[in-house]
Amino acid sequence: MTDLATNAELETSASDIRVVKMRGFGIGERSTVPISLATAAVILLAWWAASEARLVPHLFLPTPVEVFNAAVSFYQDGYANASMWEHVSASLARILTAAVIAFTLGVPVGLFMGLSRWAKGVFDTPIEFYWPLPPLAYLPLMIIWLGIGEASKITLLTMAMFAPIAIAAQAGVRSVSLERVNAALSLGATRFQLMRDVVLPSALPEILTGTRIALGVGWSTLVAAELIAATQGIGHFVMSASQFLATDYVFVGIGVIAVCAFAFSFGMRLLERWLVPWKGQS
Amino acid sequence: MLRVDKASVYFAARDGRPVHALDRVSLEIPDGAFVVALGTSGCGKSTLLNAMAGFLPLSSGSITLNGHAVDGPGAERGVVFQKDALLPWKTVAENVALGLKFAGVGRKERRKRAVELLRLVGLQEFANSAPYELSGGMRQRVGIARALAPDPAILLMDEPFGALDSMTREAMQELLVDVWSRTGKQIFFITHSIEEALFLGTHLIVMSPRPGRIVARFDLDFVRSFARDRDARAVKTSPEFVELRERVRAIVHQDEVYGRAAE
Repeated sequence: MTDLATNAELETSASDIRVVKMRGFGIGERSTVPISLATAAVILLAWWAASEARLVPHLFLPTPVEVFNAAVSFYQDGYANASMWEHVSASLARILTAAVIAFTLGVPVGLFMGLSRWAKGVFDTPIEFYWPLPPLAYLPLMIIWLGIGEASKITLLTMAMFAPIAIAAQAGVRSVSLERVNAALSLGATRFQLMRDVVLPSALPEILTGTRIALGVGWSTLVAAELIAATQGIGHFVMSASQFLATDYVFVGIGVIAVCAFAFSFGMRLLERWLVPWKGQS
Repeated sequence: MLRVDKASVYFAARDGRPVHALDRVSLEIPDGAFVVALGTSGCGKSTLLNAMAGFLPLSSGSITLNGHAVDGPGAERGVVFQKDALLPWKTVAENVALGLKFAGVGRKERRKRAVELLRLVGLQEFANSAPYELSGGMRQRVGIARALAPDPAILLMDEPFGALDSMTREAMQELLVDVWSRTGKQIFFITHSIEEALFLGTHLIVMSPRPGRIVARFDLDFVRSFARDRDARAVKTSPEFVELRERVRAIVHQDEVYGRAAE
C-alpha cells in the first residue's frame, strides 16, 4: 500500500495549489473588453480636448456636448420634415426587405450551385461578373431602369447581398463530408431527405456567416445609395446635414448608422449561437 | 447471406494509370456469421467494404445480398464508420432514430426504438445529450445503435475501434460480441489488429496488398467460447489463441515482405 502513503504525503491545502496550463501563443484568453473601453474613453477625451481647445475649426469638429444636443433635438423634433424614427425605419425597411429577398433567392441558388454542375456553370458567370463591382457603379443604371423610388434601391441592395449569401451556401454544400452523406444514404435516405436532414444543416454555419457578411455589405451600400437618391433614410439625413454644414448632425447620423449596424451584427451572432450551437464542436 | 463473386476494383492513379485495388475477391457471409477482414493498409479491405455498402461500384464481378444485386447504398446494409459520422445538431436519440425517420416511422415509435437500442449499447442515460458531449467510445456505440436501427440484414464495420485507446477498445469488443449474439446479425468487420480479428470473428480472411486479394481463410471459435464463458482474458491467453495469433502474424508479415519485393 505504498501508493496510499505517497498520496497522503502529496496532499496539500487548496490555497497552496498552483494551477497551471500550457504556455499560450497570441492574445490568450483574458478579456480585451477593459482595454477596448479604455481606448474608447481616451478617444472621447481627445475629441473633447481638441474641440474645446479649438485646435481645429469648430465647423469641422463640434464638441461632444453639441453632438449630444443635436442627437436630443433629432430625437425630439426630427429633421427635414421627418422624425428620427421615420428616417431610421425607412433605412431599416429597405435593408430588411432586400435581406429577405437576397436570402430566399441566394440560399437555394447557392445550394443548387453546390450540387449541380449545370447550376454552377450557369450562375457562376453573372455572379462572378457583377459581384466584384462596387454597387454604386451600377446604381445609376438601376435609377435609369427602375426610377428614383424604392425599387431601384431595394434591387441594388438585393444584388449586393445576394452574391455573398449564394457563394456561402455553395461553399457550405461543398464542406459536407462524404462520410456524412454515405452514412445517411446507408440509412435509407432519399435525395430529398439527404438535403433536408444532412446537407442543409451542415451548410447552415456557412450560410449564416455569409448572411453576416451580406448585412455588412448591405449597410455600406444602403447608406451610399441614400446619399445619392432618397428623401428619407439615415443616409439622406447625413447628406442633407452636410449640405447645411451641420457637422454636429452629421456626427449624429454616423452614430445612428453605427448603432444599427452593430445591432445587426450582434443579432446575427445571437442567431448563430441559437441555430448552430454545435459550430466548431463536430 | 451476402455473396461477393470475383469482385475486382481498379482506381485511377493521379497519372491516370489504373491501380488494381481489389483482385477477384470471392466471399460468402452466411446468416449469423461474424466475418473479420484483416490486413495492412492498402490491402483493399476498405475497398471491399465500400463496394459491399454500395458506395463504390465494381470494375467487374458482383455482390448480392439474399439474391438481390447490390447497386448503391441501402438501409438493408448498415454501416459503422471508422470516424463516427454523427450529426451534431441532433441529440443522441435522434441520431440513432435517423434511419427510422427516413423510413417514415412516427416520432413516438422512433423515440421508443431509439431508447431500446441505446439500452442495448448501454447508453440509455445519454439519449438527450449532444454527440459532441460524448467520448470516442460512446460515440462509436451510438454509431452501432444507429446502424442497427433500420434493422439491416448485415452490419458493415470499417475499423470502428481503430481510433480508441486499447482499454476502451477491449470493452467495445466485448460489447460488440453481446450485440452480435443478441441480434444475430451478419457482421463484416475490418481491422488491422490480429488479436481483435481472432477474438471477434467466426470467420477470418487475411488480405494482402498490390493487388488486394484474400491470401488466407480461417474458421474461428474463440468468440463462441467468450460468449459462453465471458472470460476474455482466458480466451486471449489460451494456447490455441496464441498459436493461431502467431501463425496469422507470420502470414501478414511474410506477405508484407513479398508484397514489397514484387514491386
